[in-house]
Order: sequence, then C-alpha cells, then structure tokens
Amino acid sequence: MNSIRNPDLSVTIGKIQLKNPVMVASGTFGFGEEYDDFFDLHQLGAILSKGISLKPMMGNPPPRIFETEGGILNSIGLQNPGFQNFINNKLPYYKKIKTHLIINFFGHTQREYIDLARRFDGVPGISGLEMNISCPNVKRGGIVFGSDPKMVYKLVREVRKVTKLTLIIKLSPNVTDIALIAKSVEEGGADAVSLINTIKAMAVNIHSRKPELGNMIGGLSGPAIKPIALRMVWEVSQRVKIPVIGMGGIMKAEDAIEFILVGASAIQIGTANLINPRTGVDVINGIKKYLIQNKIESVQKLTGLFKTY
Amino acid sequence: MTLSSWLKILRIYMALQTDGIVLKNERIKPLYFLLTIYCPPIADGIKAGQFIMLKVSENFSPLLRRPFSVYKSYPSSHPEKKKRGVLFILYRIVGKGTQKMTEFKKGQKVNMIGPLGNGFSLPPLPSSTPIILIGGGIGVVSLYSLAEILGSHYLYVFIGGRTKDDLLCEEDFKKLNTLKIFIATEDGSLGYKGTVIDLFLTQKKSFKRSQFQYIYSCGPVGMLKELAKAVKSKGVVCQASFEARMGCGFGACWGCVVKTNDLNTPYQRVCKEGPVFNLKNILWE
Repeated sequence: MNSIRNPDLSVTIGKIQLKNPVMVASGTFGFGEEYDDFFDLHQLGAILSKGISLKPMMGNPPPRIFETEGGILNSIGLQNPGFQNFINNKLPYYKKIKTHLIINFFGHTQREYIDLARRFDGVPGISGLEMNISCPNVKRGGIVFGSDPKMVYKLVREVRKVTKLTLIIKLSPNVTDIALIAKSVEEGGADAVSLINTIKAMAVNIHSRKPELGNMIGGLSGPAIKPIALRMVWEVSQRVKIPVIGMGGIMKAEDAIEFILVGASAIQIGTANLINPRTGVDVINGIKKYLIQNKIESVQKLTGLFKTY
Repeated sequence: MTLSSWLKILRIYMALQTDGIVLKNERIKPLYFLLTIYCPPIADGIKAGQFIMLKVSENFSPLLRRPFSVYKSYPSSHPEKKKRGVLFILYRIVGKGTQKMTEFKKGQKVNMIGPLGNGFSLPPLPSSTPIILIGGGIGVVSLYSLAEILGSHYLYVFIGGRTKDDLLCEEDFKKLNTLKIFIATEDGSLGYKGTVIDLFLTQKKSFKRSQFQYIYSCGPVGMLKELAKAVKSKGVVCQASFEARMGCGFGACWGCVVKTNDLNTPYQRVCKEGPVFNLKNILWE
C-alpha cells in the first residue's frame, strides 16, 4: 500500500465544505473573540456561535457552574444578546475569521424558531444553522421540543421551508430513543444532526444542603458523558442517512476518532475548549496523524469504519 | 521601534497560554502554601487584581483549571537577577485542586493562562489621601499586590480570617506605607472576635471624612455583600475584587457571573468584566 502523506481531512455537511471535521461547540466558544489570543481560529473546520434567541436573554442566577468527577455541570441559562445585538456587535468579529460560522439558535415557540431562521437566512457571513431543540415549548405546557418525535418533525419541516442555509439539528440526549428523534429530523428535511447536548443532572452540597447550581438542575458535559454520547452517535448513525456530527466529552484526538469510527462525519469540541483553548487544533493534528499511521487516505473513509464482533 | 518591541507591548494586553516552571512550593501555614513559578511572559504583563488560570494536573482530574490572583510578580527587567520573571502564588488548601497542587515539585512544568481580567485601577485622588484596604481570607493576597503600587498613599488595612492561622500578609503590609493594621478572626484566636466587616463597622466612625473616601476590598461574596451594606449611604468609592467558581477564566462560558445594575447585560462575568467591580454597581439578591 502507498504511504499517505497528506490525508484528505475535508468533509461535507449539507452545502458546507469544511476543510476538516473539527468544529467548536456552541456555548463553549463564546463569540469566538475570547479565543483570539490563543490561536488562529481559521484552522478550525467551523465555529458554532453561542446560542442566539430572538430577544436578549439574561440567563440563570449564579452559581452557574460546578465541577463533578470528570464533568462540568452548568446552568448558564442560554444568556445571549438576542438576534439584533448579535448581528450588530458579534457577527463582525466572526466575519474576519476565514472559516465557516454556524449559528446556533433556539426559540420558545415554533413561531419564534421560524422567525429566527428566516432572519438569519441571507445574512452574509453565515454558512449554516444549528437548531437547538432542547428548549421547552411554552405553548405546549413546557414540553421540550426535542423530546416528541411529532413536534420535532413539524418544527424541522417548517424551519426547512424558510431557509436555504445548511440546517443542522442539535439533539437532546434526555429522550427515550434518540434515534427515533433523529429519524423525525431527517424526515423533516434537515441536512444533518449533531449530538449530544448536555445531560440533565444535579449536584447537592451536604453542608449547606442546597443544590450546587442556582437553577437546581443543569446540564452535564465533559469526559464523564463520553460513553453515553458515543453510544447515541452509534445508534443514530445506524438509523439516518444524513451526516451525524458527534460530540460529548471529546478531550483529545483519540476521542474524536472514536466518534468518527462509530459513524460521525464531523465532531465538535465542547468542554475541552474551556480547559485547553487550543484543543481544536490538537485534535485536527491528531486525526491527521492517525490517518497517516493507519494508511487511510481521507477522514471520510474513516467514518463508520467500525468493526463489530 | 522594532517588530519584537511592538509585539512585547501588544502581549501585555493579551492572555497567553504558556508553561511556567515551579521553583518552590512550600507550606507557610497549616493550610497555606506559597508557590513560586518562573514564567517571564506572564510576570511581565500581570497587574494587581488580575489573575491566572492554572492547570493542576496533566490528566483531567480535576478537570477545570483553577483561578489564582498573584501575590507578587517581578518582570524580566527586574534589577535583581534572581527575581526576574518570577510569580508568587499564595494558596489555601480548599479542595481537590489545591490539594493536588501541594504535590508540585521543583522543576516541574505547570500550564497557565494569563494575565486575565480587569485588575484594580489606581485611586484618582491626591497621594495624601489615605486608602482603606479590607481583605478576608485569601482575598488579602490580592490587596497586597495592589498595596505595593499604591506608592505614597497611607494605608489602613483590615485583615480577616477564620482563625489566627488564616491571617495573611500582615508582615508584608508593615513594610509599606501602612498607618494601622486591624485584625479580626471569627473564632477570636487573634484580634477582634468576628468578621472583618464587623470590625470595620466598629472602626468606621473613627475615620474622618477625608480618610474615608476610597476602599479596596477582596474576599468571599458574603463578605463583599456585608461591606456593600456598610458603605451604602456614604459617598465612598469601593473597588471590590470578586471570587467565583470559574469554567474557563477568559470569558467564553459565562459560568462565573455576578448581577450588576447594567441594563443590557445584568449578569456580568467575574473573569472578563471583573474580577474587580465598583461595589455600587452590584445588585444583591
């Protein structure tokens, strides 16, 4: 076999051609500018924005973050400046970076989701949308959009109608059958799914007898959740034909490779960004090295290259 | 100017992720260690009240970096060769992270991000104006780094701790322009029995108006809340440095917020907009 010197790292998600499969996850990468001191962000395959809503959101009361064994529990509460302030004050920085910007967004009603998707459609400098469906539907008694296959199908179908941008749906792990939800997403016409969002969790302080988070319940991320995320990415990959973007506790290249092996076309780095801001670049280099050592000519060939007994 | 000198100026305003080398890590009190690190890039840029995020372990246990304010730092241009590029961090063993740090050995590399946050700004007052410093627990350390640059201002220093073994920097302050040091311990093992704010309240009336204009404070949130009440009605300015659990330390995660009177963004980041805030801008719930 010929030796591989320069493996092809490019991947395609919907209409987006990424130079490599490594993205940085929403909520862990601020508005990009916070990382500007640490490395050239154009090296990344794509950058996900912090989650954006129609109106500004002030977020949850502190404490908002708590470290658990191998994980972080957070309840930031989707604090963000809202659509218009984002466009005016945050987008100009992102536009300077020569990589894809994917906007993470969410709504409180179906109408808000559609309205936001329509507003982002056609804004220069935006390559795609990642829709967070882990939010409660205020019109349906607070049931989380992403937990009901029918509601997911309808939401995706309606949002699909108003945007030509690549549409990625970010799945919640807090469901009985995540592959069933992914199937609804595919039928609704989305270009890809990304998973997993954080796992609902809590922590208690036995001295104060209070919860460690101001909001009581938060989302768990970090290496502690990787095995769960990996299982879910595997299950979803078996059920849908659209690309799967894997995430959940990826700290190093080996973790990313595991996700790709079980079926992910691309991956996102989340919690690790907070600890080592340059994790994304380390993971890109590590994947490249793995492909060279294993004589695999492209990362696309690595996707699903998982053996079963 | 050469490119490298421009870069050096630029670097002062940038946070760096870099390795430092442990020179010393010694216990100075039952629960306190003094860590000496050689790290010129950070030592050159860091200002009083700014902090660093230190990676405690090579693996991910504990997972997050830990924030530390700097006790003393000497730039690489310092006249004493031995001090050049050296940072001193004083830490209390409070949990898994700081426990692990006690194992740091001479010569070991430690990864740091810094300088981070907005430090203290100097008082816009004539140098004849005395300054009041109020510190609780490990917060005293950050006030000491400020006191070193307060020049000819006279200082009234309030130091508080749980016990006499939690009182820090008393000897250091004595070497500066300190008029008086007030000591409080919660268990009464030394000085006034009670919190440092209780002590401050007993002394407040004895200050003349001219002596009661500018306060710097650092300590637990509960202490700062009590201080805010104590100075509420007065025209006194109080710069307070906040402690908070942090995710990243450089503004990305929004985990370390405090509530302020800012109408657009009530929850501001301790790591980015802070850690030093004007106390009158904080909303207490």
